[in-house]
Amino acid sequence: MTGLFHSWVSAPAIKIFLLIALFCDPAKATSPTVPEELSEGVVRFALATGDITAALPLQDRLKGDSADYLRGRLLLESGNVQQGLDTLVQVAQGRYHRGEAALMVARHYGAEGDADESRNWYQVAAKNGFGETRQKARFALAELQRHAGRLDAAGKTLAGMDEGYWTAVGYLNLATDFARTDLNPSRALVSLRVALAMCETDTNRERSKELKSRLLVRAGQLAYAHEDYDKAIGFLKKVSLDSYRTPQALYLHGLALSEQGNYRAAMQSWHRAKKYPLAYPGVEDAWLGMGRGYDLAGYLGQAGEAFLAASAAYEGERATLRELEKRIREAGAYKSLVDDARNADLEWFLADSRTLTQPRLAYLLGLIENPVTQRAVARVAELEEMIASLEQQERDLTVFMAALGNKPSSDTQGRSKQLSADQDALTNAVAALSGPNISPAQKRHIRELRDALNASGSVLERLSNVGGGNNQRQPRKRQAERLRKQTQSLLVEVRAVRDEAGKALDRLALEFIEQEDQRMAFALDKTEQQIAHLYEYLALKKLDGGKP
Amino acid sequence: MLTPARLAQYVLPLMVLGSTQLMASTAVDQQIEQLRARVSAHSVEVNRFEQELLHPVDTRVAVFLTLAGRNGLEVDAVELFIDGQPVASHLYSKRERNALERGGVQQLFTGNLSNGGHEIKAVISVRTAKDQFIRRESVHRFTKSTGTHRLQLALDAHAPDYEPDVTITEWK
Repeated sequence: MTGLFHSWVSAPAIKIFLLIALFCDPAKATSPTVPEELSEGVVRFALATGDITAALPLQDRLKGDSADYLRGRLLLESGNVQQGLDTLVQVAQGRYHRGEAALMVARHYGAEGDADESRNWYQVAAKNGFGETRQKARFALAELQRHAGRLDAAGKTLAGMDEGYWTAVGYLNLATDFARTDLNPSRALVSLRVALAMCETDTNRERSKELKSRLLVRAGQLAYAHEDYDKAIGFLKKVSLDSYRTPQALYLHGLALSEQGNYRAAMQSWHRAKKYPLAYPGVEDAWLGMGRGYDLAGYLGQAGEAFLAASAAYEGERATLRELEKRIREAGAYKSLVDDARNADLEWFLADSRTLTQPRLAYLLGLIENPVTQRAVARVAELEEMIASLEQQERDLTVFMAALGNKPSSDTQGRSKQLSADQDALTNAVAALSGPNISPAQKRHIRELRDALNASGSVLERLSNVGGGNNQRQPRKRQAERLRKQTQSLLVEVRAVRDEAGKALDRLALEFIEQEDQRMAFALDKTEQQIAHLYEYLALKKLDGGKP
Repeated sequence: MLTPARLAQYVLPLMVLGSTQLMASTAVDQQIEQLRARVSAHSVEVNRFEQELLHPVDTRVAVFLTLAGRNGLEVDAVELFIDGQPVASHLYSKRERNALERGGVQQLFTGNLSNGGHEIKAVISVRTAKDQFIRRESVHRFTKSTGTHRLQLALDAHAPDYEPDVTITEWK
C-alpha cells in the first residue's frame, strides 16, 4: 500500500487541504468517490489484489447478480468470518456464483479441520460449479479420498475430470501413493504419464512448466529405482534447466548413465548439478558422484581431488548454515529468509538465469516445501502487512493532528477579507454587463462567469463562517487523536501476535537448518570414508610394490 | 535476483500440493482472524477520515482504470499527469493485470482540483497481443465543477493491428 501523501503534495498544501476540508459541508463530505457503476469492478480489483480497505465501504452499494457473492468474500477477507460464511452459504443456495461460493465455504471448513462438512461443500461446488471452480472442487474431493486411503475412488474421481492442471496434480499425488504401496511401478508410471498428458493442456505456461519438471523427475526416479535406465534417461533429459527440480534431475540422469557404464556422460551431468547450491536435493550426491565416477573410470588421482573438493564444499556449506542459523536467531526467520529475498527484487531488471543459484533462495524453497511452514510464513506475512499499514496510519494521523492544531494566521484572515471584497466587485461588474445589445455568445460567457462567481462565493461564505474555526477544527483534531490511540493500541496487539507467530516460524526454520546441517555432516562422513578407502587402497598397492 | 513472479513460479506449485491437507487452525490463527476483523474496521474508519480531510468533496477528483475487453493487452505501466504535473504512476504486477482482465477497476488516483478547465494526460505502456511494447499518450480536457469529479480511463485494442486505444469517460 502506498503512502497517503504523494511526493508532489507539499506540507503547506496538506494544511490548505485540511482547512478546505473543515469548511466543507459535512453531509457532502461522505459523498462516494467511486461511481455506483464502477463499484463492482473496484471490489473485484481489491479482492484480486488483496488490498481491500478502500473497497470495504462499497459493500453496501453493490448491486447486480454478483453483489452477494462479492459481499461475502469481502466479509470473509476482512475477518468477519461468520457473517461472510453465512452470506456465502446463501449464495451457494441461490442462482448465481453457486459453485464459487460453495468452494470457498468448503475451503473454510477444510482449514478448520472439519472434513465431513468440507466434503459436503466440495460436492456442492463440483455439482454446481463451472470451469476451474469445478476442477478445483473435484481435485479436492479426490485428495480427501486419497487421504482416506481410498485410492481407487480417488482414481475414479480424477478420471471424471477435464484435462488440465488440477487433474495433473491429482494424478501426480495418486502416483506417489501407488509408488509407496505397489512393488511394481507400472500403476505409478501410468498415473505419471496421464498427469504429463493432462499438464500439456494447461494454459498457464509457468505453472505447467514447473509441474511438468516435477512429474518428469518423479517418473525418472521411479524408472531408475526399478532399473529401467533407458526409460529413466528418457524422462530426465526432458526436465527444464530452469526449474526447482533441475539439480535433482541432473543427478538422477548421471546415476542412470553410470549404471549403463557411461561414466563420462554421467560425470558431465553431475558436473552441471554441482553448479547449483547444495541446498537442492541431489546436489551433494552429485559432488560425491564426481569422485566415484573418476574412481570407477580408473583415474584415482582425480578421484581423490574430487572427494577433497566435495569435502571442502560440504564444510563451506556447514559454515553457511551456521551463519544462517545465527542470522535467524538474531533477526528471525522471516527477515532472514523471506524478507531479504524479497528485497533483492529491487534490482529485478538485472535478473538473469542464475536465480536458482542463490543459496538463500534455495533454502527458502526447501523450507516452504512443507505445508506447515507455508502456513507459518503466511501468518507472519499477513501480520507484517497489518503492522506496516497501522504504522502508516499512525504517521498520517500524527501529521493531521499537527496540522489541525495550527490556527489560521492573521495573514490568512486578511486575505480572506480581501477575497470577499474582490468577489463583491466582480459580482457587481458582471451584473453591469447585462443589457439589450448582447449577442447569444456573450450571453453564454456572462452565464459562465456568473456560475463561476456563484461557486467561489459559496466557498468564501463558508470561509467567513470559519471565524469560529475551532468549532470545526477541534472535533476533527479529537477524532484524529482518538483514531491514533486506537491505531497504537492495535499496533501493540498485532506486534505481540506477530512475535508469537515469528517465534513459531523461527522454530520451524531452525529445525530445518539443523536437518540440513545433519545432511551435510552425513555427506561429509561419506566423503571422508571414500577418501580413507582410496588412501588405504593406494597404500596397500604401494606395499605390494605394484603401481596403483 | 528473486522477483515475486519468479518466487511464485517455484513456490506456487509447491503450495498447491499441500493446500488441500486438512490442518486444524491454531490459537494464533484465531487471534489473527479476530485482529484482522478489528484492523479492517479501524482502517475503514481511518480511510474515511483521511478522505474527508485530504480530498474534500468540492475539490475531489478521482481517476479509474479499466480494460474495455479481453483483447490480449498486457498493461505494463501507467503514468498520469494533470495540467502537466505528474500525479500518479503505477507499475503493474501480474496479479493486478489479471485482476484488470477479469473486470476489475483500479482506483488510480484521488486528489484535489480547483473548479474550472483542466487537462489530464495518461501515458500507458502495454504489451500487445502481437508481443510488441507500445507506449500510448492520451490527452483529455475537462471542466471541473463543484462536487466529486470522476474520470474513467478505458483501455482497448481493436483489430486488425490491436494497438492500444484509451477512451476517457467522465462520470457526473
